Amino acid sequence: MTEQNENFETLMRLSLTGDQQAYAVLLRKTAHLLRPFLAKRLSFSNEVDDLMQEILISIHKARHTYDGNRPYKPWAYAIAKFRLQDFLRTHYSDHLRHAVDFDELEETLEDFVTESGLSYESISVEVQKLPEKQAAILQLMHQEGYTAKEVAVKMGMNESAVKVAAHRAYKVLRKRLET
Amino acid sequence: MENIDDLVSRLAEDAGVIKPASHPYVLSLKLIGAGAIYLGALLAFSGLRPDWLEKFHSIWFVAEILALVGLFVVTSLSAALLGFPDQFQKRNQVLAPIWMFTLFMLLLIFEWLFDGHPAPLPVHNFECTFSIALTAIIPAVWTFYALRKYASTNYRLAGSVSLLSAFSVGALWLRLHENTDSINHVFEWHYLPMLIIGIVGLWLGKKLLKW
Repeated sequence: MTEQNENFETLMRLSLTGDQQAYAVLLRKTAHLLRPFLAKRLSFSNEVDDLMQEILISIHKARHTYDGNRPYKPWAYAIAKFRLQDFLRTHYSDHLRHAVDFDELEETLEDFVTESGLSYESISVEVQKLPEKQAAILQLMHQEGYTAKEVAVKMGMNESAVKVAAHRAYKVLRKRLET
Repeated sequence: MENIDDLVSRLAEDAGVIKPASHPYVLSLKLIGAGAIYLGALLAFSGLRPDWLEKFHSIWFVAEILALVGLFVVTSLSAALLGFPDQFQKRNQVLAPIWMFTLFMLLLIFEWLFDGHPAPLPVHNFECTFSIALTAIIPAVWTFYALRKYASTNYRLAGSVSLLSAFSVGALWLRLHENTDSINHVFEWHYLPMLIIGIVGLWLGKKLLKW
């Protein structure tokens, strides 16, 4: 029977011998260990969860590179950092790829305000289906009345990033409401 | 957390008996052994330079060969360590090729400074780099093949030192085979391309060792 309080190294040694219970305990303890590390570096809980899953899969794939005779935590953190860097690189390159021209943005925002007769409440169900960050931004701007600048301060983003995120959300909403 | 719990259960079900990967020292010994056998075979096939006995009485030549062997050994060791996500927690040894390469370059500079009777430049030039690169292909292939079984979190650096290790085998072969004494030629066409090879290795590491 595997004890919950056994250390990482022992659990990993047992896991390598095929002890499934020890392995499950080890992975849960690892997730618990890494969560604050990821939460400190990522803004949203869904991102932390997604990345945590990737890290656990990577640990599973790379477990043959751990022999149980050296500290486990540096090994697990090395994999976590590696996956975090990958995640951030992809995240920021996506941002750049989807960057929007501000002239176009201003025109679209004006269009949306003047042409739409919809209230936030009437489309709140659709808003909730948006990614967490976009939904939060729309809620703050259109339900609670914050300006983009205030939202930026509140969410720890810069103002242009808020505007871009809102613009993307408007585009998605427009498509959904038109269909 | 529900997804994480599901994932943990799925991964745990998949957990069988796993044979831990070879210790990095064992892996590096395998790489070094394979490199030495390959070098021996190349020299047996192509032959040693005609004046090799005489050259081994020259302190600068011996020091150069020893430094090259040292570079081959430390790059092989570094590549093996870089195969592990945590570099087997031996970071100092991972960075040893930097010191060895610096030492090697310093040695070449001294060899050039104290070369009282510079030998004439040979008529060929880039052919040497090309020959070294060609002979380095096989060691490069097996080093990358070996490292792909591991899980490098520094795949660019791993690629770079792997190529340097392979290139140093080629450089050793040519230095022991070719009858050239011009230090200018050796520096320019045998060893300086190592810098470019290191950069190519960064790219190749990303392509071949990413997991």
